[in-house]
Amino acid sequence: MWLAWRNLNHDRFRFLVTIVGIAFAVFLMIFQGSLLVGFLRAASKPIDMTEADLWIAARGVEAFEFASPLPERFYDIVAGVEGVETVHRMTVGFTFYQKPSGMQQSVLLVGAEPGIGSRFPVPYVDAMRTSLAPDAILVDSSNAPTLLLDLVPAGIEISGQRARVVNIIDGFGSFFGTPFVFTGYEDAVRYLRWPGDATVFLIVQVEPGSLQEAKRAVQAELPEVDVWTRDEFSRRARLFWVRKTGAGGAILMAAVLGFLVGLVIVSQNIYATTMENLEEFATLKAIGARRWYIQKVVLMQALACGSVGSVIGLAALLPLLGPIRGTISWIDTPWWLPTGMILVGLVMCVLASVASIRKALAVEPGRVFRA
Amino acid sequence: MRETALTARQVNITYGAGTAAVPALRDVSLTFSPGCLALVMGPSGSGKTTLLSVLGCMLLPDQGDVHVRGQSVRALDEQRRGDLRRQNIGYVFQAFRLFRALSALDNVVLALDVAGESGRRARARAEEGLAAVGMAAKARLKPHELSGGEKQRVAIARALVNDPPIVLADEPTASLDWRAGEEIAIMLLRIAKERGKLVVVVTHDPRMTPFGQRIVKMEDGRVIEDMEAR
Repeated sequence: MWLAWRNLNHDRFRFLVTIVGIAFAVFLMIFQGSLLVGFLRAASKPIDMTEADLWIAARGVEAFEFASPLPERFYDIVAGVEGVETVHRMTVGFTFYQKPSGMQQSVLLVGAEPGIGSRFPVPYVDAMRTSLAPDAILVDSSNAPTLLLDLVPAGIEISGQRARVVNIIDGFGSFFGTPFVFTGYEDAVRYLRWPGDATVFLIVQVEPGSLQEAKRAVQAELPEVDVWTRDEFSRRARLFWVRKTGAGGAILMAAVLGFLVGLVIVSQNIYATTMENLEEFATLKAIGARRWYIQKVVLMQALACGSVGSVIGLAALLPLLGPIRGTISWIDTPWWLPTGMILVGLVMCVLASVASIRKALAVEPGRVFRA
Repeated sequence: MRETALTARQVNITYGAGTAAVPALRDVSLTFSPGCLALVMGPSGSGKTTLLSVLGCMLLPDQGDVHVRGQSVRALDEQRRGDLRRQNIGYVFQAFRLFRALSALDNVVLALDVAGESGRRARARAEEGLAAVGMAAKARLKPHELSGGEKQRVAIARALVNDPPIVLADEPTASLDWRAGEEIAIMLLRIAKERGKLVVVVTHDPRMTPFGQRIVKMEDGRVIEDMEAR
């Protein structure tokens, strides 16, 4: 629609202000969306990376990071349930890590038995992933600076016991400040030094096609625990971080604010442009322009602003994602997020043009006769 | 019987209500035929512009009716009145009403675009229209780069580009100097005489009087005189 484009091009300053507003809104929405997606994925990543069919946890456990111990006998009970193929133990707990400098750092220690999944970080000795290296731990590259790790292997201490960082891994950075440290189950139990039971999760693989039956059977045998499928526990963990901690909510709110700020900026500018061109809309009506023609002019102005602003917002963000990832390792921008946010930006522009369209359509054509 | 282009029958319009009611048109009945330059004259507040709004299908009368080439306006909704305007009437305004962001050529193309014609053919027709009013050389200029007379020529080209049988002009010479005003008056007379269009001009500019073939005088919303010019 050439008239819309010419109108925008005629008042370039206002056009610039509008597209800067949209670019800012789209930038903010994609950035906050990336934080939210990354946050949600990070919140459930240890769960998602296992090859478990079922997760068994103490009653009321809502997240991977905050679990409480299960009686050791539960391991044998679960192993004996019909339909259960394998059971692995996992422990998770906060402890202290002594840096090479001698300073202490609180860490979340995660220890798992071999066999819970090839993508779950456990310090295997060999490529066959059958046995674990003793006293070996893995640390995510994003936490390495916090833990003062330059080179591996590096000798450190956990809870006053000797350990070796044998490898630096990627993709398991902590999203809540306390670094994750991964090791084998036996070593983790030793490092944590809990009195009594140390297993916090039982990771179960069931016979093919018997997921729900096995879940019901385990729950019937152990009514005092929670039994979740992996997807259920993953969703529960995400919801916990989003709802209960407020962190996810805050990120979501910032994305919504980005949308609202953009909406207000675009609305004001498109409305101001419409008001400034009201006589021209009256002229269009006077010379017989149909309603859709006038709607199209306003809408196209809004969508042109939206398209240009969105592309600029995206172009401004993409080069920054790399450096941002250096600081916020868990930030995640899946392909659909920019696409989705650009669509949201265009919807924002359409919403912003509603008041302007109403105003343009309501103008009396007879006003053209006034000098 | 001679064909009629535009008819107003017992048109009444009142602005406001109650004690604040101001009658703008009172029992106005007029019939206009094609090929005529009619001047509607009168002092300020006499109802000239209201009459033009009613004849131009932009304002519905409180009482009475307007017929455009036999079609009653009263029975039409806003959308259909717009269609009627687009197909039958070209407008020339005192304030020109050109689109600031568009060149002279694009202002004329716009009228074609509104009527559903676009592309090269529309541009060619718009160029012809501008050439007909002597504006071919300034087709690429924007309104702020044109003089008042030139703007009015572009406005006339826009009004004529869809070849409407009726042209309504509101004070087309009021903003122009003597020479430009006379040129526009001649142009409007030629449109009526040579192209057979009905041209109704609302004016209080005495310079227009020699060019009018019919002069309608108004006062207080009434037609007080309606005469053929010699």
